[in-house]
Amino acid sequence: MPSHWERMINLFVAIIGILIGIVIGFILPYTYDTTYSLYVSVAILACLDSVFGGIRSNLENNFNIRIFLSGFFGNAILAAFLAYLGDRLGVPLYYAAIFTFGGRLFENFAKIRRVLLFKGKKTN
Amino acid sequence: MKNQNPKIILTFFSIMIGIFISTQIKMKLETITPITIRSLQTMKAEINAINNEIAELNNIIKMKEEELALLENIAKGDDNIINILLEDIQYNKIHSGQTSLEGPGIVIKMYDNPAERYFGFDLNEDVIHDVDILNIINDLRIAGAEAISINNERVLSTSEIKCGGPVIRINGRSSATPFIIKAIGDPKVLYAAVNAPGTYGDLLKIYEIGFETTIEDSIYIPAYTGDFDFRYAKPLGKDD
Repeated sequence: MPSHWERMINLFVAIIGILIGIVIGFILPYTYDTTYSLYVSVAILACLDSVFGGIRSNLENNFNIRIFLSGFFGNAILAAFLAYLGDRLGVPLYYAAIFTFGGRLFENFAKIRRVLLFKGKKTN
Repeated sequence: MKNQNPKIILTFFSIMIGIFISTQIKMKLETITPITIRSLQTMKAEINAINNEIAELNNIIKMKEEELALLENIAKGDDNIINILLEDIQYNKIHSGQTSLEGPGIVIKMYDNPAERYFGFDLNEDVIHDVDILNIINDLRIAGAEAISINNERVLSTSEIKCGGPVIRINGRSSATPFIIKAIGDPKVLYAAVNAPGTYGDLLKIYEIGFETTIEDSIYIPAYTGDFDFRYAKPLGKDD
């Protein structure tokens, strides 16, 4: 049975990781074309959702690296592709990705909160 | 080890997300707003205007380069400075009205209404006034007249046209009716500028004031013979 602090580390790992990544990103001189910004931002949202899902599954002790990796890249690519397709068709299809992943992000976060707040108890 | 693995993976992918986020922030994106046709058109017009400006500036650069080449030639002694200055004087004299000019244009003959009137009729309506001349001159200038004279008196930017009873004073000299206004320029445009319906010249015909216009291939316009005397205006010497 992992202690409460060990559980908390799971969440901090993601937050600290993102912060480190932001610092690295600012240091790196690399930028991409502005036209891709919409696709990338939607992909970021999908990735964020995947990481939160990973934290949740880790807290629930059913983390599977294959599911995580496929979700991380698959969701990102699908979201970016939807945004691209929407641009071609003239319909803002990326809204679908925003609503889905945005909603799931909060859902995952809610599950994480419950696991962390109620420690080891089996709650939903 | 099995416990540690997910955290490392999560950290790694969090770092990836962070890199993407900061890259996105770095680009300082403007909020994406829908583009309206109007904004597209204004943008297009702006681009066109800027392109025109660039073309004009390029022309200016070319001109300045030519000038520079000329000046360099002078410095080298290839061209004679006196000839260039004489050309300059000639150019300036033409533009200040101190040379006689010749060219195609129109001749307007204006005279008072010759009809006999009964006693007590307001003769002001039959007489040409300074305002009439001024309006005609202005119409000619709008039409692109390059040189204008009234009764062989050159009209310059400083020339006054003053009412002096039955006569009109131009450049300090009195002229009486008939007034012969000569203008060099595009004859058709000048002719239209004083004869088209609604123009001032057309209006004068209502008052039955004599107004005859003829197009001529070669008109002689004399030089301004007076002096330029600037007492108050001082050159700043800033431009050119």
